[in-house]
Amino acid sequence: MKLNSKTLLFLSLPLLFSFSSMASSMAPLTFNAPRVLLGDDDKKGEDADEEDDEDRDRYLAVIGGDVYSGNGSVMRGASILAKNGIIEEIGHDLWIPEEAEVLNAKGMRVYPGMIAVEASPNIVVSTSRSADEGLGDLHVHPVDEEIDPLAVFEAFADELLEGRHSVEDSYDPFSQSLVLALSSGITSTVSNGTAIKLKRGEIDDLVMSENSQVSMAWSSKNPAGRRSLREKFEAASSYLRDYRVWEKRPKSEEDTKAPSEKGVDKNVVAVLTGQKRARFTSNEQGDLLSLARFAQQYEFRPIIVGCIEGWTVADELGRAGATAIITPRDRRDRNEMLNRESGSTIENAAILYEHGVQIAIIPSNTGFDMGGQSGRDLMHLPIEVGFAMRGGLPESAALDSVTVVPARLLGISHRVGTLEEGKDCDLIVTDGDLLHYQTFVQYTVVDGSIAYDKQKEIFFAHIRPRATEEVFDPGEEVAEDVDEAVVEDSEAATDESSEDSPTDEEGADEDSEEESDEGGDESEEDGR
Amino acid sequence: MIRLSRFSVLCAAAMVCAPVFAQERVEAGKPGGPGLAIKSAKILTCELDGRGVVDRGVLLVKDGKIEAVGEARSLEIPAGYELVDVGDQWLMPGMIDLHCHAGAIESLLVNDLNDTVFLTNPGLRAFVGTKPGNKRLLLGLQGGVTSVLVIPGSGSNVGGQGVLIKTGHDRFEEMLLRNPGSLKVAQWGNPESWGPGVGKTFETWSIGDAFERGLGYAQRWEAFEKNGGEEPLVDPQWEVFRSLLAQETQASVHTQMYQVVLKTITQLKGEFGIDVYIDHGSIGAWRLGDIAEEMGVAAIVGPRTTDTIARGFINWGQLGIDDVGFRGLAAGYQERGLKLIGFNTDSPVMPEAELSLQAGVAVRYGFDDSKMAAVKGLTIIPATVSGIDNRVGSLEVGKDADILVISGHPGDPRSVIDRVWLDGEDVYNSATERRRW
Repeated sequence: MKLNSKTLLFLSLPLLFSFSSMASSMAPLTFNAPRVLLGDDDKKGEDADEEDDEDRDRYLAVIGGDVYSGNGSVMRGASILAKNGIIEEIGHDLWIPEEAEVLNAKGMRVYPGMIAVEASPNIVVSTSRSADEGLGDLHVHPVDEEIDPLAVFEAFADELLEGRHSVEDSYDPFSQSLVLALSSGITSTVSNGTAIKLKRGEIDDLVMSENSQVSMAWSSKNPAGRRSLREKFEAASSYLRDYRVWEKRPKSEEDTKAPSEKGVDKNVVAVLTGQKRARFTSNEQGDLLSLARFAQQYEFRPIIVGCIEGWTVADELGRAGATAIITPRDRRDRNEMLNRESGSTIENAAILYEHGVQIAIIPSNTGFDMGGQSGRDLMHLPIEVGFAMRGGLPESAALDSVTVVPARLLGISHRVGTLEEGKDCDLIVTDGDLLHYQTFVQYTVVDGSIAYDKQKEIFFAHIRPRATEEVFDPGEEVAEDVDEAVVEDSEAATDESSEDSPTDEEGADEDSEEESDEGGDESEEDGR
Repeated sequence: MIRLSRFSVLCAAAMVCAPVFAQERVEAGKPGGPGLAIKSAKILTCELDGRGVVDRGVLLVKDGKIEAVGEARSLEIPAGYELVDVGDQWLMPGMIDLHCHAGAIESLLVNDLNDTVFLTNPGLRAFVGTKPGNKRLLLGLQGGVTSVLVIPGSGSNVGGQGVLIKTGHDRFEEMLLRNPGSLKVAQWGNPESWGPGVGKTFETWSIGDAFERGLGYAQRWEAFEKNGGEEPLVDPQWEVFRSLLAQETQASVHTQMYQVVLKTITQLKGEFGIDVYIDHGSIGAWRLGDIAEEMGVAAIVGPRTTDTIARGFINWGQLGIDDVGFRGLAAGYQERGLKLIGFNTDSPVMPEAELSLQAGVAVRYGFDDSKMAAVKGLTIIPATVSGIDNRVGSLEVGKDADILVISGHPGDPRSVIDRVWLDGEDVYNSATERRRW
């Protein structure tokens, strides 16, 4: 295993620079396309057309699927109607406008789009085409004829060394990794503190929230850092106390000055007033325990990334109202010197959840592994969640860990994370239980538009291809017997194409039982 | 007074005897202990040919071996057998990983497994690095992996001899399945780092050269044993080739990419006629599935489980030949007609405990599991390929009692392994031990 991503990175660095500088130095000679000026009349005509289009309401109807709303309800054979990207109605026998685009989800399941609560930057920021083809994991700014090589280099160094970039300025709505994210059922993610919606071929209204979290350090290896953070919290909380007293002061004392903000950390104030969430990376039980106590003392709810030994101090973390961002497969050896529990366990997520800690889940690789070692990246988020379930995390909490909990962490749960009327229509249609390892996302809908269709993309279309779709005309009454025949047909087709594809509620267990059960049932009948 | 002393003697005797009895009582199923009967809703027996499943079955273990398997209604449990009813949980054989480095390294910093002093090192032996109580292997045991082939790294064309061991037990002698477990060959794709100018042509020559010499040595010994005459000198460098010639061990070959895997099949199997299996087998090599089947070469796939679209300097999926985004490797071999397909982790590249997921991912990417190919690829197929199917790989009468209690299909990450018996010994029980995996 020598050709890992690191080697590639090293190998590719010099080339990257040479590519970008070469391309940009050559660009002025070759890429200057002549600009065609349009006449005023033409322009007016176009604008008028566009306005017409914009005026018309845009409807999408996802019909006949089993809707797993994410708020606890499951509606079998229900439909969802979205108007202009917002869910208008969920239920049975909906009125569907004639002009609505229809997505037939019969025999499939509908879930809220998943949210990657952490993602490596390359899944959302721009990748110029040459970089896409040549440098997989890295990203560079698109080469523009007006940018000089030095600027490209500086911007690149900025991104690489300091992780500084603005999502709005670097988002590429046509990138391959965007399609991979959508194919994995991910509809929202975060980049440098900015929660964004994964829009395809569209860049309007990308940003959903900004800087909803403040990163802080807490480690026994850095006692000075701990003390200084404690001091900041102390200063901010005493400022807030003074401020509240001042706020409620009698009117006669109006001329008294507001408490001084000098030396008060604004981020800490935001954390203490609940406007932002403080985020720590911590795995060691001692750190986790003191962090939990610290959070209880100042009454804020920490986000803890890693939290590998969290299960050993789960009650304290629960009392602190913590949210843990966990990779269930992360490993840490038990401390053999310690006569008490330590190290990693697959039950971590389940134990934390039992004690009231909210769980969000990310895989160990928060990008897309194009090297073939499948199963540990964002493309396999449900598999990572499956490992939390292996440790006993209940199914509902497992689903929440990639939908509504990340939405809460990013401050966007009023828009995404569950399927409810009035929320954004970001959903996925799957051929079975989302958390089953064989399930594929068939469609991904973002803001009420179909952004991904498995059968139309290069990636997974050849694996257990979906049965040919029936044409559904919302205006037409379908005779019942015909309807049934069609349903049977499509069921037979799905059975053929994938014997194992979990379409039942039980998912894996039942199906795999069926698979190896066939002969068993026969022999049983024989016996009788 | 007398009475009292009698009483005290009895007391003393009881106190002395109780611990003695406890020590002497051997756990059911272990050698020398009473028999063990395990009742389960579904037993995945995993024999190579056949249905591989017994529903509502009972499995009898005696002296560390499987004594009988059958349906509960017809198989009588002999008197004195300890009954364990696992209810709705399934039984399956312990899993086998034919590409494990973790067995001899506990830290990535210590890499004794890749001694690349020479470009071919057939005399080196991996077993010197193995020891009981290896943490990674013990975690693997909780993940259901009971047997592994610990092999040297791929830094040289012939890395040395692997060793087949069990992951549990307290003594190496108990762990040992077979030594040499294999001869590790790296056909291409890593030995280049050995020195300047080493590429496919030289490496192919270098492997051929080593095998010519080694098999020549083995043939001299064979002739001597058959016809007598002058006894050849023992040369530890070439000793392993005697096992290879006698087909008592195999060459496990680090090989990937079409032309390299083709060379593995035609050179090692075709020219030299020794038992060979493909390890890794990624990057377009699945296209050789039909040739591999024809030549009797199995593929043990991993840690890469998919070929992906063009990426960087290597055209992983060889886009242009067929325009498919993600190709399941095992599925590719299977579609071309190869029957013996197994999985590996290359641990610690993939953690040992995640062997079963390698099969799960294969199924996700199109591997047909309707006849339990995924479960067999974790059990009886690697056992057959490495020639240890007389002892492990399936729950058949006479084999080692390496048994897992699992809540569902092993390929499903949600399936829980609750108990593990190794040679009839209860080595892991989630009811009494903290679940790490």
